[in-house]
Amino acid sequence: MTASGAAGGERSTPGELRRAGAADRRLRLAAIVLALVGLGIAAYLTYVHYEEIRPVCGLGGDCVKVQSSEWSKLAGIPVAVLGLVGYAIILASLFVPGEEALIVGALTALVGFGFSAYLTYRELFTIDAICQWCVASAIVMTLLAILTTSRLLLAPGDHQRGALPYVG
Amino acid sequence: MSQEPRQTRQQRREAARAARVEAEHAQAAAAQRRRRLMTLGGVLAAAAVVVVVAIVVSSGGGGDKASERAAAATKTSGAIPGQKESSEMLAGIPQKGIYLGKADAPVRLVEFADLQCPICREYSLQSLPVLVQDYVRTGKVRMEFRNLSFLGDDSITAGQAASAAAKQNKLWNFADVLYYNQGEENTGYVTPQFIDRINKAAGVDAAEADAFAKTPASREPLGAANTLANQYGVNSTPTILVGKRGGTLKAVDADATDVGAYKSAIDALLGQT
Repeated sequence: MTASGAAGGERSTPGELRRAGAADRRLRLAAIVLALVGLGIAAYLTYVHYEEIRPVCGLGGDCVKVQSSEWSKLAGIPVAVLGLVGYAIILASLFVPGEEALIVGALTALVGFGFSAYLTYRELFTIDAICQWCVASAIVMTLLAILTTSRLLLAPGDHQRGALPYVG
Repeated sequence: MSQEPRQTRQQRREAARAARVEAEHAQAAAAQRRRRLMTLGGVLAAAAVVVVVAIVVSSGGGGDKASERAAAATKTSGAIPGQKESSEMLAGIPQKGIYLGKADAPVRLVEFADLQCPICREYSLQSLPVLVQDYVRTGKVRMEFRNLSFLGDDSITAGQAASAAAKQNKLWNFADVLYYNQGEENTGYVTPQFIDRINKAAGVDAAEADAFAKTPASREPLGAANTLANQYGVNSTPTILVGKRGGTLKAVDADATDVGAYKSAIDALLGQT
């Protein structure tokens, strides 16, 4: 059912809902793509960490210096693994309907963004080396933080979703 | 002039109902916006707390000796990175050629490494200081450094310089300082100037070492390391072998920074002695 019969007229609430729903679907699709990219980067960094091999690192970066630095682990856990878990949570949240999933996705992405910003600061000013994979991950996480926060603010609410074909 | 047709009661009721529904929608939307903003505020606050905790844990983890050394390795100002840390780690411990520690130590630890190998650097900066402090300084373990030098020309140049440092019983200082200053693999960074800096920071007589490093004799320890590696089936670096003095050696299957695993392997041997 749609609410068009109730609202009628030119300022139709269903129209707004449909637009909100369409915008949310675009945000969600973009977030899925980014989460998959982030997952790929984190998986690669996790692989090279455990296989103890040198990551592909061009453009004058020094990934080994960054990856072997003190800041490559948090409480003994490689940050690549933390990234992998973070991206997996964000991706999973994008396939779960409901506001709780929006909150979990946004919270994870914001934490990821904050910690990525800290690690980028360490790369630039303490380690004095740049790892392109880490920078790429930081950019992906920043975009995910924007997208998931936007969804949290703009996605149709639970009470509205009954009126819309929600893919969530 | 034409008059607008008067609305029937039915039409007025529908119009009123539509207005009411629209007002309810507007109210619901406003309430949802407020609720979402509050949720966002909560999410931002929670994220900030988690990030701050992560940063504190990340920085606080540097309190131990190994992390301090790793952090020092990233600093480029002042004296040559690692000079002070290496000298502190090894101060007062006997060195002879490729060996570190007392000759009568009950356990032997053999490190197969390449000075260009980044994971060997991780081992050297993070695990080694703990093992030296807990086992070598206390006379329980004697270490030996076997230089494989297989990654490229820079490895061989550094390996020959390491042999020269070993001749002066300064190999462990040389290797440790070099790891602190390790560059990008096979970029030709192991220049005579680079070696000179490392020698000076490691307390090696640079002129004497330079002269020896140019002789074929400086390659002999590299060949001996290869032979021993073949004997034990060592095919990657770093590989750490441990065993009782005079006994057989066994590889420790552990991450380069998993110092707990190395300690367990050594403790097991010490329990047997």
